[in-house]
Amino acid sequence: MAVSRRKFLTTTGGLALAAGLPLPALAQDRSIRHFWWGNPERDRRTFEVIEVFDKNHPGISVSGETIGWGDYWTKMATQTAGRNMADLVQMDYRFLFEYVRRGALQELDPFIGNGLDLSNFDKGPLQGGMVDGKLYALNIGSNSQVFVYNETIFEEAGVADTDVINWTWDQFADVCKTITEATGGKVKGSDDCSVVLEVCEVWIRQNGSSFFGPEGDVTVTPDIIADYWQFWRDLRDAGVLRSADKSLDANLPMSDVGIVAGDTAISNFWSNQIVGVQALMQDPVGAAMVPHKEGGDPGQFIKPSMFMSLTRDSEDPEAAIMYMNDWINNPEATKILGLERGIPANPDVRAALAPDFTPAEKVSVDYFNAIQDKVGPLPPPEPKGAGEVRDAFIRAATNVVLGDIAPQQAAEVFVDDAQAIIDRAR
Amino acid sequence: MLYPLLWLLASSLKPENEIFGSLGLWPSTFNWSNYTGGWEALPVSFSIFYRNSTIVTVLSVLGNLFSCSFAAYAFARLEFTGKRLFFGLMMMTLMIPYHVVLIPQYVMFLKLGWVDTYLPLIVPRFLASDGFFIFLMVQFFRQIPRELDEAAQIDGCSAFKIYWAVILPLSLPALATSAIFSMIWVWEDFLAPLIYLNDIKNYTVPLALRLFIDQEGKSAFGQMFAMSVLSLVPVVIFFIAFQKLIVRGIATSGMK
Amino acid sequence: MKNTKARNASGYMFLAPWLIGFFLLAIGPILVSLYLSFTRYDMVGDPRWTGLDNYIYMFTRDRRFWKTLEVTFHYVVFAVPLRLIMALGVAMLLDKGLRTIGLYRAIFYLPSLLGASIAIAILWRQLFSIDGVVNQVLAVFGIQGIGWITNPSTSIYTLIVLAIWQFGAPMLIFLAGLRGIPKDLYEAADIDGTPRFRKFYAITLPMLAPVVFFNLVLQIIEAFKIFSPAFIISNGTGGPADSLLVYTVYLFNEAFKFFRMGYASALAWVLLVIIGLFTALAFATSKYWVHYENERD
Repeated sequence: MAVSRRKFLTTTGGLALAAGLPLPALAQDRSIRHFWWGNPERDRRTFEVIEVFDKNHPGISVSGETIGWGDYWTKMATQTAGRNMADLVQMDYRFLFEYVRRGALQELDPFIGNGLDLSNFDKGPLQGGMVDGKLYALNIGSNSQVFVYNETIFEEAGVADTDVINWTWDQFADVCKTITEATGGKVKGSDDCSVVLEVCEVWIRQNGSSFFGPEGDVTVTPDIIADYWQFWRDLRDAGVLRSADKSLDANLPMSDVGIVAGDTAISNFWSNQIVGVQALMQDPVGAAMVPHKEGGDPGQFIKPSMFMSLTRDSEDPEAAIMYMNDWINNPEATKILGLERGIPANPDVRAALAPDFTPAEKVSVDYFNAIQDKVGPLPPPEPKGAGEVRDAFIRAATNVVLGDIAPQQAAEVFVDDAQAIIDRAR
Repeated sequence: MLYPLLWLLASSLKPENEIFGSLGLWPSTFNWSNYTGGWEALPVSFSIFYRNSTIVTVLSVLGNLFSCSFAAYAFARLEFTGKRLFFGLMMMTLMIPYHVVLIPQYVMFLKLGWVDTYLPLIVPRFLASDGFFIFLMVQFFRQIPRELDEAAQIDGCSAFKIYWAVILPLSLPALATSAIFSMIWVWEDFLAPLIYLNDIKNYTVPLALRLFIDQEGKSAFGQMFAMSVLSLVPVVIFFIAFQKLIVRGIATSGMK
Repeated sequence: MKNTKARNASGYMFLAPWLIGFFLLAIGPILVSLYLSFTRYDMVGDPRWTGLDNYIYMFTRDRRFWKTLEVTFHYVVFAVPLRLIMALGVAMLLDKGLRTIGLYRAIFYLPSLLGASIAIAILWRQLFSIDGVVNQVLAVFGIQGIGWITNPSTSIYTLIVLAIWQFGAPMLIFLAGLRGIPKDLYEAADIDGTPRFRKFYAITLPMLAPVVFFNLVLQIIEAFKIFSPAFIISNGTGGPADSLLVYTVYLFNEAFKFFRMGYASALAWVLLVIIGLFTALAFATSKYWVHYENERD
């Protein structure tokens, strides 16, 4: 072609000047992209951090790219296939292994102490981003399972003094019964968690087992899952759970969950969702642990709620790491980010944030502190196909809730199916 | 029939914690802040999103109308080798699920350097990428009496002249219908902008609406509903303006 | 000979934009997807050739494949005719020429404007939930409702109701078609004193046949490809218990959720064949009931 790149640039530059358009500043010859799933609040904070970074690092410009959770993964998969991933992407624990095993992310170890300062980072949360002993994802907020309850209803039903951190499944069942009676059945005790694999997983661990073994095989026995489904079935038959009709979807939008819709007094969530739940509700909410098994193992665990990862397609990893480092260590940035993505893993950051907490934020931080010594280790990384197993679990549980199949039989079929899915994914 | 729309309107005026859990339509207080706040709630103002959507929509509608009516004229009125084959291929493009061509198409536009520009959204529309409109116009063009073309041909009109002076004016209802559909579908299109636009400053309105909702965390439903209602305004105006063109066809008597 | 050349020239001239678009933008990706259907492709690494494995697995071992076919056919069989009848009925009403017609058209079209947005998903879930408006209305008649969307045996019908409710697009096309029928045909019939229903069979239907045909073919294609409403109402899962697992939702999840683009491509080509068969059938029968004005071929 006759038009060289330089000539093209000068021509267009000349045109831009003639048209009075702003030209990109010449100093900004390095640019990185940061892609996350968000909401208006998170987007506002993140763009503010980007502004701060741009100000502190002239010569590097950051392009912020955001979309909601559901669409995020579609776009990410497309960009991955096109080898056009953003330099830095937000990662979820569920998808981390899928992306690492397929080679889409870069190891962070070479940057530790070499641009990435992790000296003041809690060790536990750091572990969560490791795959096969290497760090692929930086924890930018931690998380745990939680049963959120409606404090007003608890008080009215006279169960406000329950020790919701240390309670057992039996106590939980009693509370559900008391609440249902106290409200005349208008508000049921709890959501039906039959289809919720995350709660079932806690149950499995309490029984000394784990869903997946270290090799990625399905190690849980059908009996444990059948017991879990039976437990909920008994409560359902007692009429103290949300109607079966509304208990078949494990991916409900927050607005449709029992406690928010006003159907129940207790619903399950992840702890970083407490603030969001409160925003949709008029009554104040409290945070309870998933009930314990009497004399059982700790079932809950603290897992990273979100990660930041460096991708294979990054052309300027050095600049990307600078940004990542600011994200966790620069007080200016961490103050803007607050607790929005979860509890930060840097104790200094937490201390600096404490005075400004809202009531709901305080509930979630207090909860987080209360459960520290009552949780078990992080489960081993999920194998390929785990996402599909989760869908299969929901389908099996749906049939149990509808009464189409007995828990024991459904559990046996499900465990076989789950192993078949894992085998196919290998 | 209209209850759902009233519900949408009512929800856009309700305070956040009243949208769910209460079934009544009437808000306890009229919360106009969803509108004023929603407009500026995102890092980029909705003015920008509307500008972007307008650019993409106007160009796409023009592209669709011109290129599809060209192709439809060829299929409906002209004879040429391979016509049936091409028509079959065109129908095939209508049938293939879009999701499986998404990635090869993305790679192609990426190589062209078009990602994060409006070109992947606009250029295909100038190249008659949407078989729906071709097929629609073919069906309408075929209804126009042949005598008219033949008379024009005898008068020495070129194929283009016939297309321009005979076929198009007589197909006003079909063209208006096509304009309405392409306007609505492009305005509301979500998947292509999602895949091709990266910088939030380039986002279109439907994409921006998705920024309000976070399945796992804090959403802004009231604002989302308010902005959804507003996003319908241009579409409704366009619809009302263009549906007028779906008028009674001409009387053919006297020409036969 | 010269004549053919000249005719070809003007034909290709008018078809040029489409030809360019087809050969530069469309055919490549379509062929790539055909190729991918014979591979295992996780979208990160390179595709690996596996021959017919995807197709064999689909037909012999994939139970959900048969389930998704069942759900999709169920939807097509109900949604297509009901939607068309609704659209034609309303279009004929509107064609009668009410003075405020623009407003009426807009009102009937409004539901379709909402498309498959998140707002519609939230709305539909509320409407058909156990204590939703639908059940409140039913309660007036003493009928005890259920959770229509969450119950696997009824959820598909909520999707069909949505499709019927959003009948605006075929309606508008019918309307345009009705408007294209020359007035003088009716005037002549009126002079002869033809009764109304005869006019419908003798004039309206035959004159409208090309448009009916268009709507039929398009509705079949679109119904087989239905994605967004099923996807958003089921929160992307196709649940409860796979009852909303229409074909393209299954395909989408295989591709973008489980990283099996190869398998998803195979699914797409099977769907293409199914739709192609139905479309070909429609075209074949059209000879007997669709006649184009003054066309002798």
